[in-house]
Amino acid sequence: MRGDRRVEAAHAAVRALVAAKIRFLLPMTIIYIVGYVGLTVVAGFAKDVMAIKIVGPLNIGFALIALNYLLSWALALIYERVANRVFDPLSAAAAESVRGAVR
Amino acid sequence: MSITLLIFLLILIVTLGITYWAAQRTKTASDFYAADSQLTAAQNGFALAGDWCSAAAFLGFSGLTALYGMDGAFYALGPLVAFCTVLFLIAEPLRNSGKYTLGDVIRSRMQTRSSLLAAIAGTIVVNFAYLMPQMAGAGVLVRLLTGISYDWAVIFVGVSMIVYVAFGGMLATTWVQIVKAVLMLGAGAIVLVMALSLVHFNPLTLFADTEAKYGAGYLLPGNYLKNPFDQISLGLGYVLGLAGLPHVMTRFYTVPDAKTARRSVVWVMFLAGAFFAGTTLFGLAAADFVGQDAIRAADKGGNLALPLLAQHLGGGKGSVGGELMLGFVAAVAVATILAVVSALTLSTSSSIAHDFYVNWLKGGQVEGRQEVWIARLAAVIIGVLAIALGILAQGVNVAVLVILAICVAASANFPVLVLSLFWRRFNTGGVIGGMTAGLVSSVALAMIGPAMRGSDALWPLVNPTIVSLPIGFLGAALGSLIAARDLENEKRFDAFLLQVHTGRAPE
Repeated sequence: MRGDRRVEAAHAAVRALVAAKIRFLLPMTIIYIVGYVGLTVVAGFAKDVMAIKIVGPLNIGFALIALNYLLSWALALIYERVANRVFDPLSAAAAESVRGAVR
Repeated sequence: MSITLLIFLLILIVTLGITYWAAQRTKTASDFYAADSQLTAAQNGFALAGDWCSAAAFLGFSGLTALYGMDGAFYALGPLVAFCTVLFLIAEPLRNSGKYTLGDVIRSRMQTRSSLLAAIAGTIVVNFAYLMPQMAGAGVLVRLLTGISYDWAVIFVGVSMIVYVAFGGMLATTWVQIVKAVLMLGAGAIVLVMALSLVHFNPLTLFADTEAKYGAGYLLPGNYLKNPFDQISLGLGYVLGLAGLPHVMTRFYTVPDAKTARRSVVWVMFLAGAFFAGTTLFGLAAADFVGQDAIRAADKGGNLALPLLAQHLGGGKGSVGGELMLGFVAAVAVATILAVVSALTLSTSSSIAHDFYVNWLKGGQVEGRQEVWIARLAAVIIGVLAIALGILAQGVNVAVLVILAICVAASANFPVLVLSLFWRRFNTGGVIGGMTAGLVSSVALAMIGPAMRGSDALWPLVNPTIVSLPIGFLGAALGSLIAARDLENEKRFDAFLLQVHTGRAPE
């Protein structure tokens, strides 16, 4: 009986963790998909925009490609930090509450 | 040419030594499939970089940039962005919920034999579609770089990969990938520094020079990818397809926990990402210093742009430095192929031995030592098959297979995996519906498209992901809704989520 309650508590904790992850990851995912697919859309349909020079021979197209590299790296580091600080403790707590519980 | 062979012989001796060492340590099924899950984040990050950078990335991206300008830079960017999908959605859940394969995850979620079979089909189709062009590419490339004949080159590559995988399992495969990644990054760094030293470390000079030589259009999109929808489709294929490639998934079982899996993705994003960014500069430098005509003369696809650039930077054709640099880069290219085909062979033999033989045919009732021997045997058979297919593929247009591998991964494996991890209502009907819809639509559209039929194409896109991916998701959703609700499965979903997000099952 006690085991059942602990399992139920663990399940509730995991559902909260999943909800928190989705709340955080949805905007992150939209950012990189829009950033990258958006770049290919602009490249395909607005070539003249990509041609605008910004620094010497460097045009907006190459600048946006470089920006996409930086964006991917930044998002990865942000995710790792948040996962280590927020998600891991939540996950450990859920795992702890189920330890020794009988299904 | 003799310098290439010499350097390559050195790499071969080192990797065979590693295989001998790994073979001593490969006893259990967990050793063979997953290096006993004992790798560190850095080791797995380097191995992932070795896994994911095929010869198409090592040589192809530089060549495309050299010949077509910005479109080459597009090609190089997608494979990095793709790791965001892997990092956010796939890496940690795979580590927590599976043991060795994609089939393990689907089996633990659905607990039905038919869903396991669907996962096996997805694994094998993608791996063979990926492996065959790699073998054919190896034949062409090794012939080009060393002068030995196509058939012998394929046999040589095939036998090496069989030895690595059958004897050394995941441990040997991992270290072959790490050695290759270190060599690849080393070669890249040397070429980059030497190339930039010629333009006083101002990369903008490369843009200005190439624009002056090849016209303003060179630095604009659309020189290679003419159809905008193709470009978007290719991008989608990369960004979601990587997360559906079984030989990449397998890498996350080689680390002890989710945190290490996560850290290893960050490693690979910086290692491989830096290299991909480098290929754009290599391409521009090759166009600037070597020239498009010389690059085309050596190989019309531009695949020799990087070796030729290295030769030029070392002092030019005939000079000691030039031949040494050329030999080094060429040898690394061959090592690159070996690392990728080994990973594909290992992942396929894991699926055949572990998913098909042990879990599907024998219901899990196979002793550990016996399972290892079956996996070794599977590796040999797959290797021999790959050699035969590689030889048969000579002169055949394998471009369609390259597209298929990534397209099926994105349209069949990816939807099924993601829905398994996140959707309570998803069931066996959905697994079968998603796999079938994704697979059939990818194959059918690729077969009637320009990659297969050239100008007779019945459908305009080379890469069909933009259509087949939604079809795959639709098939998965409809399959789930049409099939009867699996209430047992939905009730188990809480326990599955616990496993996926904490790595712990209620005991």
